[in-house]
Amino acid sequence: MSIVIKNLKKSYGDQIIFDDFNLVLQEKKITGILGPSGAGKTTLLNLCCGLEKPDSGTIEGINPTSISYIFQEPRLLPWRTIRENLRFVFKGQSIKKSGFHDKEIDEMLRMVGLDTVGDYYPQELSGGMRQRVAIARAFLYPSELLLMDEPFSSLDLTLKNKLMGDFLKIWEQDKRTVIFVSHNQEEIKQLSHEVLTFSDKPVRVLKKETIY
Amino acid sequence: MISTKLQNKQIQSLIKIGKKIGVALFWVLLWAVAAWWVDSSLVLPSPLDTLKGIITLSGDFKFFVSIGVTLLRVFGGVTISVALGLVLGLIGGLNKPFYEIMNPFVSIIKSLPVVSVIILINLWIASGVVPLVVTFLICFPVTWTNVVQGVHATDDNLLQMAKVYNVSQQRIIRDIYIPAVKPYAVSALMNAIGLGWKVTVTAEVLANALPSVGMNLYYSKIYLETDLLFSWTFVIVMCSYIIEKVTLYIIERNKRKGADQCQLS
Repeated sequence: MSIVIKNLKKSYGDQIIFDDFNLVLQEKKITGILGPSGAGKTTLLNLCCGLEKPDSGTIEGINPTSISYIFQEPRLLPWRTIRENLRFVFKGQSIKKSGFHDKEIDEMLRMVGLDTVGDYYPQELSGGMRQRVAIARAFLYPSELLLMDEPFSSLDLTLKNKLMGDFLKIWEQDKRTVIFVSHNQEEIKQLSHEVLTFSDKPVRVLKKETIY
Repeated sequence: MISTKLQNKQIQSLIKIGKKIGVALFWVLLWAVAAWWVDSSLVLPSPLDTLKGIITLSGDFKFFVSIGVTLLRVFGGVTISVALGLVLGLIGGLNKPFYEIMNPFVSIIKSLPVVSVIILINLWIASGVVPLVVTFLICFPVTWTNVVQGVHATDDNLLQMAKVYNVSQQRIIRDIYIPAVKPYAVSALMNAIGLGWKVTVTAEVLANALPSVGMNLYYSKIYLETDLLFSWTFVIVMCSYIIEKVTLYIIERNKRKGADQCQLS
């Protein structure tokens, strides 16, 4: 089911971010959103996942309990090991004891090249490794929609390319609807099936481009 | 190579201990010189008089009973205040109406002079229990304030992540709020222990609580046994120091690798 945004309005004080905004996002495709910093890209993601509420309008086609989010920062629990961090998002799974989802977790850790660091703490890993854990968490969580807010922006070029490759590899095996936000054109074009270019506030879609 | 490093580490730690002993000896020496200059053990007993006083006191079984009972009061007051402060602070941090109901009460207790609290409480309950209740009343606001602060300082990014991934509130409290509050709770515990001793002993004196270290201090004062007054004070300082160190040791032993280390250090 596609995601349909209808007559969306959102403002912060005098600043109007979305004013009667309409958009349809394709199901099981990666939609990239380009735009200047502060234009409202992250706000759109937060509206989609319920972290923020619209002033008016609707977003249809999203199951609020079936969303994964790869944030700009990994957002891992510093007092939990990598494996425990991954268990954290599974309902009914004990965090400290191994359980039903451990096989999936091990498989995912292997896919992102972190199979040897499951018992490490986040601060014992590099920034890139932590971001890979965040990607693993997003794919492990049984979601229909995956939101990505500039997840590669803080990484160096080599690591970025490696992570984007890993991401595509996992996505090919588990195709979900993805909204990927960035201000980096190359990143967006490398990953997305469709690219939308946003204007500055209030947001309008300036360009819609189908990549493949 | 490794053994040289180890030896260096041992030498460093010996130097550190030596320095501490040196500083302590300097102050004891200064005290001895002052006592010699004053030349009246009634006004300022020497370190030797104080030591003799401790030896005399420790020959009497009542000495240990007094310390034991005072220790129990400190432990009781601190434990109840920290436990309740943790639970209620956590609820207060998460629930605004509850915070608004509790906060004026906590603020009033915080601003009350300790002596007023002791005298008031002594009007209502038995002398022996007064120090415990007063210790609780004085230490509880410290824990409450720290824990509420800890809850409010919890990383919003982690809470947002948990919300998106539809994590249960119970798990959020156990795995985000409680670990985030831990360093604040530890700091509250250490403050409560330090404060607990002072308040308990003061309350023991003002409430005439028997048996107690406080009343022994008071008797030493009335009978002009200044050397014993110093001995009891020394005992209080040592007990407080030992308890603080033991608590820190237990916390260090129980803390896990990772962020706990970062946060507690």
